This record gives sequence, C-alpha cells and structure tokens, in this order.
Amino acid sequence: MLTGLISLGVLLLVIIISLGLGPAGISLGEIWKWLLGHGSFDETARMILFKIRLPRILLAGLVGFSLSLGGVVFQALLRNPLAEPFILGVSSGAAVGAIVGIVFGVGFHIGVPFLSFVGALSTVLLVLSISSRHGGLESSSLLLTGVIVNAFFTAVIMFFIATTSGSRLHSMLFWLYGDLSQSKLIQVSVGLPLILFVSAIMYGFSRHFNLIVGGEDSALQMGVEVKVVQWVSFLGISLITGLAISFCGIIGFVGLIVPHLTRMLLGPDHRVLIPAAAVGGASFLIAADTLARTIISPSELPVGVVTAFLGAPFFIYLLRKRGSQWTQN
Amino acid sequence: MDRRFSIPVVLGILLFWQPLCSQARVFHDALGRKVTLASVPTRIVSLAPSITEMVYFLGLEGKLVGVTRFSSFPKEAQKKPKVGIYTRINIEKVVSLDPELVIATVDGNRREDVEMLEEIGIPVYVINPRTVSQILETLKRLGEVCGVSERSEGLARALNERVSRVERLVRNKGKPLVLLVVNMRPLMSVNSKTIHHNLIQLAGGRNMTGDQAHTYPKLNIEEVIKRQPDVIIVSSMKRGGGYETARKEWYDYPTVPAVREGRVHLMDSDLIDRPAPRIVRGLEEMARLIHPEAEWNER
Repeated sequence: MLTGLISLGVLLLVIIISLGLGPAGISLGEIWKWLLGHGSFDETARMILFKIRLPRILLAGLVGFSLSLGGVVFQALLRNPLAEPFILGVSSGAAVGAIVGIVFGVGFHIGVPFLSFVGALSTVLLVLSISSRHGGLESSSLLLTGVIVNAFFTAVIMFFIATTSGSRLHSMLFWLYGDLSQSKLIQVSVGLPLILFVSAIMYGFSRHFNLIVGGEDSALQMGVEVKVVQWVSFLGISLITGLAISFCGIIGFVGLIVPHLTRMLLGPDHRVLIPAAAVGGASFLIAADTLARTIISPSELPVGVVTAFLGAPFFIYLLRKRGSQWTQN
Repeated sequence: MDRRFSIPVVLGILLFWQPLCSQARVFHDALGRKVTLASVPTRIVSLAPSITEMVYFLGLEGKLVGVTRFSSFPKEAQKKPKVGIYTRINIEKVVSLDPELVIATVDGNRREDVEMLEEIGIPVYVINPRTVSQILETLKRLGEVCGVSERSEGLARALNERVSRVERLVRNKGKPLVLLVVNMRPLMSVNSKTIHHNLIQLAGGRNMTGDQAHTYPKLNIEEVIKRQPDVIIVSSMKRGGGYETARKEWYDYPTVPAVREGRVHLMDSDLIDRPAPRIVRGLEEMARLIHPEAEWNER
C-alpha cells in the first residue's frame, strides 16, 4: 500500500515538473499557482500546456506503463530475465506494418498506426501458433521462434530502408527510434480503457506469476491453469504494447530495465511488482521524454536514446549493489 | 635517312594533330577537379534526378543513356535505363552503359562512387549548386561541357530574368517570417545552408530557422508557437495522401499568426527541393505565397 502511494506520488510529481519544462518557458511557479486555483494562462500558454505538453506526457505515461507491465509479465512467463515485451515480435511486426504504410503514403493519422497495430498482432499470433504444442507454450521454443521472426522482419525493414530515399526514409527512421512528438489526446482516450482492463487482469494473475516463476510443473500442482494464464497474458500484453508502439514507434529498453529496477528495489513478489513497475514505467518514460524534448531544444532527441542512456548506467549500479533478485530466496 | 624530308613530315604531323589536340577538352568541376574529355560527349549518365532535369532542360536528352531512380521529371526520363538510387549507384550498370561523361552531385552522391568511376577511367563532372544563382551558373557550365554553350547561355539568361523580376516585385515589401516544413514526422525545417533558405530570401521572406546549427533541424512544435511565423509552407510530395490533413493540423494552434491569417500553404516539394531549372517556378510560387499583395500581373 505504501509503495503504491509512493509510486503514484512520484508519477504525479514527474507529470507536474514535465508540464513546466519546454522551450516555450512557462515556469513551474505559474503552473503551481494555476493548480491551486488562482492565476491563469494566456491563450498561447494554454495551447502549449494542454494541446502539446499534456497529451504528450499522458501518452508517454501510458506507453511506459504498458511496456513496463509487459516486461514484468513476459519475464515471469518465459522465466527469463532477458525477456521483454518485444521478444515475441510485437515491435518488428509493428515496424513492418508502419514502414509499409510510410512507403505507400497512407497517412500518419490513421493509416500508419492501423497497419502497425495489425502487423504487431499478426506477428505475435504467428509466433504463438508456431511454438504452441497441444495448446501449451514452452518458453524456450517461444523465445527461439520470437528471435527468428524478429530477425526475419528486421531483414524486411532493412530492405525497405535500402530501397527508399528522401523524407520517407526520415519518417521511417524516426518511427524506428520512437517518437512521441505527435501525441494526441485521442490516442490517450483510445488506449487508456484497454490498458487499464489488461492491467487489471494481469494484477489478478500476480499470484499465478509468482508460482510460474518457481516452475510450471509446481504451479500446475498448486492448481494454476498455466495454459490459460499464458495465452491470456501473451495476447493481452501484445494487444496493449502493439497499441502503444503503433502510436509512437519503437521505444526500447523501458520494458527491459524498469521491471528489473523495480524488482531490485522491491523484491520479486508480483503483487507488488506489477503495479509498481507499471507506474514506475510511466514515470520513467515521461521523465525520459521530457529530457528528450528539452535537452537540445529547440531540436529533439529520439526518446529511445534517452531511455538507454539514463537507464543502463543506473541499472548497472543497482545490479552491482543488490544483485538481480531474479528469484525468490 | 634524309633529314630534309623529316622536318616537313614532323610539321605536317603537328599541323594535322593541332585540331585533334584542341578536341581534347579540359574542364574544372565544382570541386576544382580536372575533367578531361576526348570530345563532345555523346553518351551521358546522370547520377541524380536534379541532374536529369538539367540535361533535359539543355535539350540533351538524346545523349542521356542512364538516369537514377526517382528521376520523375520530365516523365520520359523514367523510361531511360536506371543506374540505381543516387545514394547507391550501381557502378557495374554505369560502366555497362559505356558513358563518355558521368555527371554527379556533391549533395547526394557518395564520394566513393565517384572515385570508383574515375579509377575505371570514366570522366565524372561533379556539380554543387547551393543557391539559385549557382544553379543557373551550373547550367551554363554543363552547356559548355556538353558542347551546347550558346543554348545554355540563352536558357540561363531567360531564367535569370524571371528571378530578377521576382526580386524586383518583392523589393521594399515587408519581410514576413516564414516556416518551411520539409518533413512532418518528425517536424523538420531548413537552416541557412540550404537552397530553401536562399529561395525564402529571394522571395522576400525571412527563414524562421535560418539560425539553426543543423542543416535540417528537427523542431519542437512549442518552438514554432513561440517564434510566431507569419507564413507556413509545407513542402509536400504530390502523390500520397495526408498532406491536406497535415495542413489542417496546424489549425490546432490558432495563436500562430500564419494559422490565424489562414496562411498555411502546401507546395510541391519537387519544385523547391531539387536544384534544377524548375526551381525558378518554385521561387515564383513561393514569392506569391509570401507576398500575395505584390503586383504579379505587372509585366
């Protein structure tokens, strides 16, 4: 309960600070006054705060939330510390969809997100169906299939990059690096209900995840419907991570390191880990994106650069200090 | 051997060689490289769409034996044999076309490709036009190299008159702040090193992002709102939808003067991105967008 409150508090703080940072210079003091009910903004400031910064912050939060939640769940189900939400091909499938969309100029508002979402889901379904045996999903077979399918689609992506030029190439690369600069509130309102629904299910599974990490056989003996948990989780997570990256491209690293960071800080119990990692992922990506859009202002960095740049050293520090806490001792 | 005979023979040979020697022509290209041509080239390969446009403009299409992909203008150019994308030239294909002259550009072609062609022994003339006046100059130079200097002089002069007319019509008008959007995702504009910057200046505007360090700076939308451009020009490809939607997207930000005044415009990117003769038409169109109040019908 306490960790829950703390992580929500951190998230709120990160949101407020991020609202106050940007090239247009609206001070935190002004925002604080406005939050307390006195003070107001002129039309330009209102536009910047509520049409540009807020949608972007909220979308970054949702994406970070989904990716980090996906990381926790995949690491548990595949019983592998290297698992992350993209390992079953969500990202490369989404990338192929998006790039085909960009090549054929289907438009960035509906066409590209739609195609990348379709690409993401069909790739995951392909990987799951290749590796399922009698309805069961064996983790090493899943991992290998995922790696191979990812490699194949990477080749497809390279093919498109090699045969395209000009501004389309720029759009492709930007999409591949992850880009939150075009966030719209409509994306948040489409994503939010679905993401909350899936995360509620995942939270409900948290005891099962604890048992599955200890071994599928013992989980079965303890009465866990392993197959059901696997299928529901893989599909649910792929649905929300596919949706997230269809909005903003591939943002790497969040789904790998935030779960581990949370695990190092709070231990491996999924009843704590799932909500804390998800909310932590939201805070982390909002903070990273705020840096991405302010650090070389008026220009912008790809957010993926910042997530890796910040995350990796901190991750190594904690790993040295605390060990991975991968298993419950 | 009779020496009295040999002197006239030598003289005769020298006299006979004289015209042949004058045929071997030496030029210096935009990089100061020496390009030696045995004669007026009859087989030319163009390594960029803009070069293809120039070659057609000079009426040399009959001698053009190879072009790059995306050589979309004029339409007939698409039927010529392709030698790859301008950033990735297929050297073998170029060689197989047996060209007497290859024309390359600094802005686009890879140095390695040019060097490799040279090693093989194919003369490569490199151009590097960065401004409208340099484009006209390049046209004249290419005319000389290809043996049509009279024609190219005339064509360049006619283009120059159109440029001067634009400059005259926008003189003493205000200088609106112009944001030229060359890419929407990510939002990208142009700095002072680009040909677009030169176009905006000639058209009587100020480039909003001329001060940026990066040639094609990625912009944060907040920066646009802060800098308050008077005119927004979105460079767009004709094919592919979404550009009209993109134009409308600007109407989310009504405090930007360009949006408030309804001055967000689309322009065909081929007219302003390519350092080719059509850029003069691009200049005229851009000047009309920046200064609609000028007397464009006056002759």
